[in-house]
Amino acid sequence: MSFEFITEYWPLYLQGAGVTLLLAFFTVLLGFAFGILIAFAKLSKRKILSLLATTYIEIIRGTPLLVQMLIIFYMLPAFGVQIPNLFGIAKFGDYSLVVLALVINSSAYIAEIIRGGIQAVDKGQTEAALALGMPKSLMMRKIILPQAIKNILPALGNEFIVIIKESAIVSVVGIMDLMFAAQQVRSATYLAFEPLIMAAVMYFIMTFSLSKVMQYVEGRLAKDATH
Amino acid sequence: MLHIKDLNKSFGKNHVLKNLNFSVAPGEVVAIIGPSGSGKSTALRCLNGLEIHESGTITLDGEVLTHDEKSLQTARMKMGMVFQNFHLFPHLTVLENIMFSPINVKKIAKAQAEQQAKELLHRVGLADKAQAYPSQLSGGQKQRVAIARALAMEPEALLFDEPTSALDPEMVNEVLQVMQELAEQGMTMIVVTHEMGFAKEVADRIIFMADGEIVEMGTAQQIIEAPQTDRAKAFLANVL
Ligand SMILES: Nc1ncnc2c1ncn2[C@@H]1O[C@H](COP(=O)(O)OP(=O)(O)O)[C@@H](O)[C@H]1O
Ligand SMILES: [Mg+2]
Repeated sequence: MSFEFITEYWPLYLQGAGVTLLLAFFTVLLGFAFGILIAFAKLSKRKILSLLATTYIEIIRGTPLLVQMLIIFYMLPAFGVQIPNLFGIAKFGDYSLVVLALVINSSAYIAEIIRGGIQAVDKGQTEAALALGMPKSLMMRKIILPQAIKNILPALGNEFIVIIKESAIVSVVGIMDLMFAAQQVRSATYLAFEPLIMAAVMYFIMTFSLSKVMQYVEGRLAKDATH
Repeated sequence: MLHIKDLNKSFGKNHVLKNLNFSVAPGEVVAIIGPSGSGKSTALRCLNGLEIHESGTITLDGEVLTHDEKSLQTARMKMGMVFQNFHLFPHLTVLENIMFSPINVKKIAKAQAEQQAKELLHRVGLADKAQAYPSQLSGGQKQRVAIARALAMEPEALLFDEPTSALDPEMVNEVLQVMQELAEQGMTMIVVTHEMGFAKEVADRIIFMADGEIVEMGTAQQIIEAPQTDRAKAFLANVL
């Protein structure tokens, strides 16, 4: 095994890792926003909303991310959706499409995280809030969500880690993420697996650091919860 | 003040409340006793709309309780509720627990709400716990905070659902004491309880429920000393 290629190709790896992190970051951010909507739809008393949300979640969780991504990546342009290169970013349209695919995928999981977090709050809290004359929106914002967030945040961090790993499939459609960098190095150096091991190490560094950060945050939250 | 007429409630096929009829006068203390599962909690919860009753009417101050959000909210502000398991808000301090609804629902100025909350804490003997979080309190202290929190909305009546059942025995009295003081100050109260001593001493009237019905209703002497029905006799023989 030879890892000398690193001296020449490390900038490519760093660039790829940067793309991977950015993709994951935007996916979690938008997936969270979208996930909130889906979670509330699923919790809604309106049967139609709740049914739509449940269907969405089940379909997304029941099909492979790769399939979802390829459908979106090839179908939207085929139906005439054209995204110009905004912000001077080359291939902005391609990036947008894969983020869209990742967001659609992760929002289903995040919606379930949020719904679970809300439902894990003791029913008595709702009753006490209602009994004090609170309208439902106030109760949700000031009583339920602040407690639910303690259940939601750790799982959300975990989802971030999952997305960092799963996002490797965007390399399939030519997005220059960490996985794509590894493939490029493979074909340039004719090394079969060393470039992949390098990518694995970098994925691990990212996910491991993030999980350490999450542990710290969780510790802080747990301390808060035991006031 | 409060009139309940032909109140019925089912959970699925389970007919939990069967034609309840009773009234509560201002300043009156009514104790509801009866075996577990007889519908006592459900009856209380119908009164402030935590459960939706099926038929019959609940009239509060001449207003019939309907199930639109506004009517429910008004009723809940008029009838405070104290739960068996306290249900304090764990992320808020004791003071914040008490002030939250006066400030955010009744839109009372913060300074005034804080002043009032401190007075209430003093009244339930917990003036020194204002900045504590619920997790730092004993069960008895939690329940006294919950009572102060309900009082902060200045309700016309308070509903208690087994307020001492989740407490260690040595903490029961501190809560009953606060409740007795409230009764003496003229607070209208409906109390579901297994504390026969309290019912006998403090309640103006006792309702004995079994299987979703009001089986007996009368003064403490009538119900506790001289129950008429077999069901009441059997229940009292068990709890006394
Ligand atoms: N949310 C609910 N859903 C279904 N059944 C319920 C619910 N709450 C209470 N019940 C049933 O209603 C009956 C009366 O319960 P409850 O009012 O809690 O009695 P008590 O307070 O006298 O012990 C019981 O049979 C109980 O199982
Ligand atoms: Mg009960």
